[in-house]
Amino acid sequence: MFQNTKCECGHQNPTGTVLCEACGNPLVDDLPPDSPLEMRYDGAARRSQKQNPDLIDRVWNFFSSVKVAVWLIVITLIGAALGTIYPQESSFVNLDDPAQYYKDTYGTWGMIYHFLGLSRTYESWWFIGLLVMIGTSLVICSLDRVLPLYKALSKQQVRKHLNFLRRQQTVYETTLQTEPAEWVEKFARELKRKRYRVWIDRKDGMALLAEKNRFSRWGPYINHIGLIVFLLAVLARAVPAWHMDKYVSLDEGQIKQIPDTPYYVKNEKFTVEFYSDDELPERLKGTLRPKLYETKATLYTCTADCDDPVKDPVLVPVKQHNIQVNSPLSYKGLKLYQYNYEERIRLISVKPMLVDKTNNRSYGPFELPMTDPPLTYKAGPYTLKLSDVYPDFGLDEQNRPMTKSRDPNNPAFVFVVTGPGLAAGGEMYIYFPMPSAENKKLQDQLNESFRKLGSNSGRFAFEVNGMENVSFSQYTSTLNVRVDRAMPYIWVGAAISMIGLVMGFYWQHRRIWLRIDGRALTLGAHTNKNTYGIRAEVAAALGRTGIAVEPKALDNRRNKR
Amino acid sequence: MKRYRKPIQYIILAFVVLIGGYAIGQSFFKKSTVLKAGEAAPEFTLADLSGQTHRLDDYKGKPLVLNFWGTFCPPCRDEMPDLQRIYEKWQGQGLQVVGINLSEDRISVRSFAKSYGVNFPILLDKNRKIERLYGLKEYPTTFFIRPDGTIQEIAVGGPMSESFIEQRVERLFQP
Repeated sequence: MFQNTKCECGHQNPTGTVLCEACGNPLVDDLPPDSPLEMRYDGAARRSQKQNPDLIDRVWNFFSSVKVAVWLIVITLIGAALGTIYPQESSFVNLDDPAQYYKDTYGTWGMIYHFLGLSRTYESWWFIGLLVMIGTSLVICSLDRVLPLYKALSKQQVRKHLNFLRRQQTVYETTLQTEPAEWVEKFARELKRKRYRVWIDRKDGMALLAEKNRFSRWGPYINHIGLIVFLLAVLARAVPAWHMDKYVSLDEGQIKQIPDTPYYVKNEKFTVEFYSDDELPERLKGTLRPKLYETKATLYTCTADCDDPVKDPVLVPVKQHNIQVNSPLSYKGLKLYQYNYEERIRLISVKPMLVDKTNNRSYGPFELPMTDPPLTYKAGPYTLKLSDVYPDFGLDEQNRPMTKSRDPNNPAFVFVVTGPGLAAGGEMYIYFPMPSAENKKLQDQLNESFRKLGSNSGRFAFEVNGMENVSFSQYTSTLNVRVDRAMPYIWVGAAISMIGLVMGFYWQHRRIWLRIDGRALTLGAHTNKNTYGIRAEVAAALGRTGIAVEPKALDNRRNKR
Repeated sequence: MKRYRKPIQYIILAFVVLIGGYAIGQSFFKKSTVLKAGEAAPEFTLADLSGQTHRLDDYKGKPLVLNFWGTFCPPCRDEMPDLQRIYEKWQGQGLQVVGINLSEDRISVRSFAKSYGVNFPILLDKNRKIERLYGLKEYPTTFFIRPDGTIQEIAVGGPMSESFIEQRVERLFQP
């Protein structure tokens, strides 16, 4: 499109200028003649508008379009909404076969959902691509508008074209009854009282520009800077060291490595408390209402032999904390939250006695830990050698002892006892530390069958005297381990964005222009919001200079209707 | 100002390509925990029952059958004698068979290996570390690894029959 960009005042404007940069006269012919002027960006041309755009310019112009930005945001919102139809894969602690899970749980739609990749919406290339495009659009849109706007506002001409003044939203025209120069002085004083900055045309003093709260125009751009910081922080989470979200389940007394870190965490004790009935209101009495979930945890860091398959890692405690809901253990950006618990009794260690049934004497006690038990034990004159361990005892199809899993749900230990009065090869006994009638029966049966095979004489038994000789874990506590190094930046971005919004929302950029031709006064005023406010201000200032006018009468749109 | 317009455009678009490219690339190359045939078997260092360390690298240059097993898993127990037989048969030609136990107590592993007469190296995983590294979903899982260290085939579940193992071992020996 060819456009004559030279204004009748003689100023040469860049392509795309709507209102002459100097006098404000509208340059675009097809503006409806009676409507108020479009004052966006003060009518300045967008920065990148050019007559012969090359490829880079075209890409730039694409992102410079607000229309495109709006579509990008709409598409992103739709995408984000689709991601909430079914739970995301990332919200599961343990999901081995997501395809099967979605199919089984949500049927055909679930299958389609997973197939389309919507179960991983927020990590998908297209969603991240949209975020990147929105970010680009934010930068380019802002840059292309803020620079021309800044330029236009920092070199405003005081005397504007009559067309410009008459086509503002707030307009007043009259013939002055008093001396014009004197009146302008007086009017300027009134506006200054309202905290306007006032410029009077230096040549003859017959034109005036008053302006206040220009800074509110920068609000949207500061908001955009905040959003860009926010977006960059969100994208930075893709950097592996910046983000981690894992779960660690620990029995009481258990210590485990936090995967992919040099840290180990120990669950010293887990406590769950419920409100008693007198603490509860009437309608909740008799129900279990949790009062406290607490894991006494110690965080260790590995200082040596961390990946040595032979030696145990050397651990140094670095932090102790009683983890409660919303009170995580926090160490160098690593946060451990209370996530879940399960009541599951597991032995940690027992101190049994070796009982000689022939004379009812008992020897010991000896300490028997359930995990990584040592090979030999001493009980009085006898030596016990551990020959087999079944952490989760069971019998296979051929009725041979086996372990059903590697979790110490129901451990069994096979000892070979040697000592005075026993055969050189010793005697073999199986021992179930977990006290239950079933275990007792099993233990007796198995030891009896050993006896029949000649492996023992039935002389010994194991006995634990009192609960003080048993240490056990009652609860398994699950901790959520998180690293989110992007979080401070997200807050900073959000704060900047909020500052920008407040600037833009709670202050209005107000400008008043006037010119006097002979004795004819033409006044135009513009604000980006709250036209009532500016009309009231103009009417009040006029009133104090002797021109009584109703604020409503200044409304250009109303007069035309 | 006008003079800088073009360079600024290039710089900003370059940033977009860089940061955007990285972010989008990350979403593509999210490291999946599941290994596939053709990929290199992840390196590990583990101790065997006698406390000697073994590295995957030690077995480079020889075809390797890497079997993850546990005493608690019936099919693992069932296929163990077959693996042992294959080992005895092909050992002379340079086949390596290595069992990695699924983080059980040394004592249980030792007594199991003894009672089954297993004499290929049994390595002890700790805290499911290598198991996780190899992305195991089911037990047993057996990796058939070529002399160059890449995975030829992954057999998930079991028990594998002797002929099943042998077919794959033969393939490992084909150039």
